Amino acid sequence: MAKIILNNQEVETREGIPVLQAALEAGLNVPHYCYHPGLSVVASCRLCLMEMKMPHPKTGELGWAPKLMPSCQTPVRDGMEVRFDSDKVHENQERCMEFFLLNHPLDCPVCDQAGECHLQDYSYHFGKSESRMVDQKHVTPKKDVGPRTLLYSDRCVMCSRCVRFCDEVAGTGELCITNRGSKAEIDAFPGKPLANPMQGNVVDICPVGCLLDKDFLFQQRVWFLKSADSICTGCSTGCSIRIDQNEDHVHRLKPRFNPRVNQWWMCDEGRFGFKYIHDKNRLTRLKLRRGESFESLRWESLAETVRYRFEDVAKKQSDKKIAVVLSPFMACEEAWLLVKTIREVAPEATLVLGPVPTVEQDERFPVGATNGDTKFIIRKEKCPNRNGIELIIKHFGGNTETFDAFVEQAGAGEFAAAWISGGYPTEWVSKDFAKAAGKIPFKVVHDLFGSALTDEATLVIPACSFAERDGTFVNATGVVQPFARAIKPPQGCKRDGQFFYELAELEGLYQSPTVLGMMAAEIDEFKEVYVPPQLPEHQH
Amino acid sequence: MSEYEKVLLKNVGKPNSRQLATYVEGGGYSGAKRALEHTPDDVIDVVKRANLRGRGGAGFPAGVKWTFLPKDREVTYLCVNADESEPPTFSNRVLMEEDPHQLLEGILIAGYATQATVAYLYMRAEFTEQYHIMQKAIDEAYEAGYFGKNILNSGYSLECYIHRGAGAYVCGEETGLIESLEGKRGWPRIKPPFPAIQGAFGKPTVVNNVETLANLPHIVNRGADWFLGIGPEGSSGPKLFCISGAVKKPGCYEGAMDFSVRELIESDRFGGGMRDGLKVKAVMPGGISMGILTADELDMKMDFSDPAKYGLLGLGTASAIVIDDRTDIRQVLRNVARFFAHESCGQCTQCREGTSWMYKMTNRVERGLGRMQDIELLGEIPAKMGMMPGLSICGLSDGAAFAISTIVEKFRSELEDYVRNENDDAVRIALEIAN
Repeated sequence: MAKIILNNQEVETREGIPVLQAALEAGLNVPHYCYHPGLSVVASCRLCLMEMKMPHPKTGELGWAPKLMPSCQTPVRDGMEVRFDSDKVHENQERCMEFFLLNHPLDCPVCDQAGECHLQDYSYHFGKSESRMVDQKHVTPKKDVGPRTLLYSDRCVMCSRCVRFCDEVAGTGELCITNRGSKAEIDAFPGKPLANPMQGNVVDICPVGCLLDKDFLFQQRVWFLKSADSICTGCSTGCSIRIDQNEDHVHRLKPRFNPRVNQWWMCDEGRFGFKYIHDKNRLTRLKLRRGESFESLRWESLAETVRYRFEDVAKKQSDKKIAVVLSPFMACEEAWLLVKTIREVAPEATLVLGPVPTVEQDERFPVGATNGDTKFIIRKEKCPNRNGIELIIKHFGGNTETFDAFVEQAGAGEFAAAWISGGYPTEWVSKDFAKAAGKIPFKVVHDLFGSALTDEATLVIPACSFAERDGTFVNATGVVQPFARAIKPPQGCKRDGQFFYELAELEGLYQSPTVLGMMAAEIDEFKEVYVPPQLPEHQH
Repeated sequence: MSEYEKVLLKNVGKPNSRQLATYVEGGGYSGAKRALEHTPDDVIDVVKRANLRGRGGAGFPAGVKWTFLPKDREVTYLCVNADESEPPTFSNRVLMEEDPHQLLEGILIAGYATQATVAYLYMRAEFTEQYHIMQKAIDEAYEAGYFGKNILNSGYSLECYIHRGAGAYVCGEETGLIESLEGKRGWPRIKPPFPAIQGAFGKPTVVNNVETLANLPHIVNRGADWFLGIGPEGSSGPKLFCISGAVKKPGCYEGAMDFSVRELIESDRFGGGMRDGLKVKAVMPGGISMGILTADELDMKMDFSDPAKYGLLGLGTASAIVIDDRTDIRQVLRNVARFFAHESCGQCTQCREGTSWMYKMTNRVERGLGRMQDIELLGEIPAKMGMMPGLSICGLSDGAAFAISTIVEKFRSELEDYVRNENDDAVRIALEIAN
C-alpha cells in the first residue's frame, strides 16, 4: 500500500503501479491512448502528462517540477504528490487533442467507432471545437490487413496498442509501423496478414475507429446496443464477455476484464462463434410424438407430461434403466434442477455427462509460451461447463455412467427411457450414438438443432442458446462464474432455466441466483461465485 | 582568440594519415598504452578532472556519464555515436576519414575506462566511404593487437564492430541509436532507465560521440591540466568547428572555444570572410536545431555557455551555417521545417504532428500564400511542442521548436512584410482549393 497526494487529496493506492492507473482507479478522467494495463508502456501519446513535486536540484526543496511527466510511466511511490488539475496539464491536453485531429478525416457519421470513440470523448472534454490547420490534410490509405479486420489508417492516433498486442500477447507480430513522422502508418507485414487466433482484440483496444471488425462493420450504431455480462461458451477457459445486442439480435461479443480468467482478452473463435444463435434451422417448437408424426405440445403441459412419463417408466419397467444425459453446455442451475426432478420420479436414474467436444491441444499465447509466461489459453475442451456438470453429477451420486458406457448399454437395449440434453452449437450426434439411442423406447431430446436424435424422439424440447439463458458455469480452472441473459429466446422457445424450474415444481419465475443459493446450501463449491471487478470508469 | 596548436586534426593532410603506421609514428596509441597501465578508475578520474564535455551536442561531461554505470555490472557495452546527422555538421566525418586510428584509440581508452567488452561504432547509412575506411582501420588495429583478447598483455579484452544505420536523424539520439543497433525501429526510449543502467540488449551501456572519444588519447597523454588550459572555464579543450554557407573557406577547423561567431566567419584561420562581397544575414551556429542568430548577434562566443544568452538551445555541434543577404528567410524557414518534419520519428504526438503542420504552413508561406495567423501559429506551435523542458520522449522536438521559433521571432518583421504584400485573393483561393 502507498499513500499519494493526487489533486490535493490523499489517495490510497498500490506501490509501483503507474500513477495513471492509480488516478483512473481514483475515478479521475485522465485522457490516455497508448497506455493499456495489459501491454508494455511506451509513453508516446503524451496525453496523460501530469505535474509532479520533485526536490529542487540545487536547494533540495520540494516543488512542482517544471517538466510535465508521463503518468503512465511514473510508478507510484509512497508520499509522492502529483496533480492533473493544473492549467499546465490542461493546456497540454488541449494541445495534444488539436494535434491528434489535424489530419483526422472527421468522418464520424460513417465511422463504426462513433459513440464509443475516445477521439470524440476526449475532444469534447479536453479539446477545442475547431482545427486551426487550413492546409490540406495528409491522407493515409484504408487497408485490408486481414481476413476479419480493416485498418483505416487516416483515423489512427499512432498509439501502437495493436502493434504491441500482436507482439506481446498474441506473440505473432503481424503488425508494424511503416514510414516516419506524420506519414507513419500501421501495416501488416507483406504476405503475413493479421490472422492470429486472437486478432479481434486489436479492434477492442484501438481507442479510435482505425481498426474495424469486418463482421460488425456498418451493422449497428453503437448507441443502439444494449449489453449483458456473459461468459463465452467457446471453450472451457470461460472468458468474461459482454454481449452487445439490439432488438434481440446479437451484433457482437466483447471481452470483459477478468483478472482470474482472461485479463482483457478473448479469442476469435469465441468472439465470432455466436452466429448459430440466429440460425434459421434452430428448433423452436415443443412437440410430442403421436405415432409417426409430431404434434405441438403446450409449454404448460410439459412438466406434467415429463414427470408422468418418467414415473410411469420407472414403475412399469423397473428391470430397465433410465438415463439423464447432461450437456456440458448446460448451466449448473439447469442441470441441478433437471437431475433433481428426474431423481424425484425415478430415483435410480443414471446420470451421464454428454460428449465433451475436444480438439487435440490447448493453444497458448503468446505463441510458444510455456506455463510461466502464458497470457492467454484457448482450451482444447470446446464447451463451457464440463467441470460444473461433473460437480452436479458427483453431488447427486448414485448411478452414474460415462457417455461411452451409456452408448454401449443403450445399444444393448438396457435403457427404457432417457432425457438427452444437447445444446451444442455444431453437429454432435454420432452415428453410433444415434443407432444406440434408437434402442431407447422413450426419449426426451432437448436440443438447439434437429438431428437423427430429434427425428426419433418422443418429446422434442427446443433449447436456448447461451445469450438467451442465465446461470453459472464452472471453468477449466474451477472458477464459478455467473452469466446473464442478453436477448429473448426465439418465438416458440422457453428459457431453459424457466421450464426446468417448472419441471422441478417450483413456484414463480426462474432466477438463477435463487437456484444458485439452493445449490450452495448443498454443494460447497457453489458457495463462492466469482464476479470480476469493474474496470475504473475512465479506463479503456 | 588565442594561439592554437592543432591536436585533433594534426594528422589531417599528412600522407597516408589513415594508416596505422603513420598514426603510431606520430605517437599514436601511446595514450591507450598509458591508460592500460593504470586502473580504469584512474582513467575515469582524469577525464572527469579534465571536464571533457560531450561533443555530440548536449555537452554532458563524459567522465560523469561513465560513473553512472552500476558498480556490480557484468557486461558493459560502448556505443560510439557516428550517426552525425545534424545539418551542417561534418566534423566526425573528417575525424573518421582522415585519422581513423585516433578514434579507435579513443574507443579503446573509453572501453577500458568503462570496462566494456564490446564497442559498437554506429555509423549513419550515408557514411559509405567512411565505413570502408573505418573497417580497414579496425582490421589493422586488430592485427596490431589493439582490439581483441588481452590487449597489449593488459588482460583487458575489447571487440569492436561497426553497425551501419539505415538513415535516420533520430538514431543520433542515444536511445534511438541503441534501438536501431538492436535491429528495431529507431524510436528513442523512455527514460528512466538510462542507458548506463539498461542500454543495448538490456545491459549497461555508454554512448559517446566520435569527437568526444577522439579527445581521450590526448587527455590521457597530456593530462587534465593541459586540457583545462585550453579555452575558457567550463568550455575547455580542443574543439572542432564546421562552417559552411557563403564564406570563402567553408570547412572543418580546430580551435579553443574562445572566439565569437564573427571571428569564425571572418578569421583567416576559419571561414576567411564572406565570399563575393555578400553580407551576413543570419547564422545558425550550432547546427540547425540550436536556433538562429541575426547579423547583429555575431558576438556570441562559440562556447558552452554563451549561446543561451542569445536565445539558443546550446552550442550543439558547433557547426555554423552562414546565410547571406540574398537569401529569402521564408526559404530558410521552410527548409528547416521540412527537415524536422521528415526526421521526426513519429512516436510522440506533439513532435509528429507539430513538425508536419509547421512544414505545411512554411511551405505555403514560402509560396507567397501566407497569412498573419500563420506567423502567429509558427510562433505558438513550437511552444506547444514543448521547449526546454520538452514534452516528448527525446530532444528532437525541442530542437525543431528552437530552430523554428528563433527564426520566426528574430525575423518576424521580414516575414510579416512578405505576408502584407501578398495578393489576398490568391491566398483565399489557395486555401479553398486545399479544403
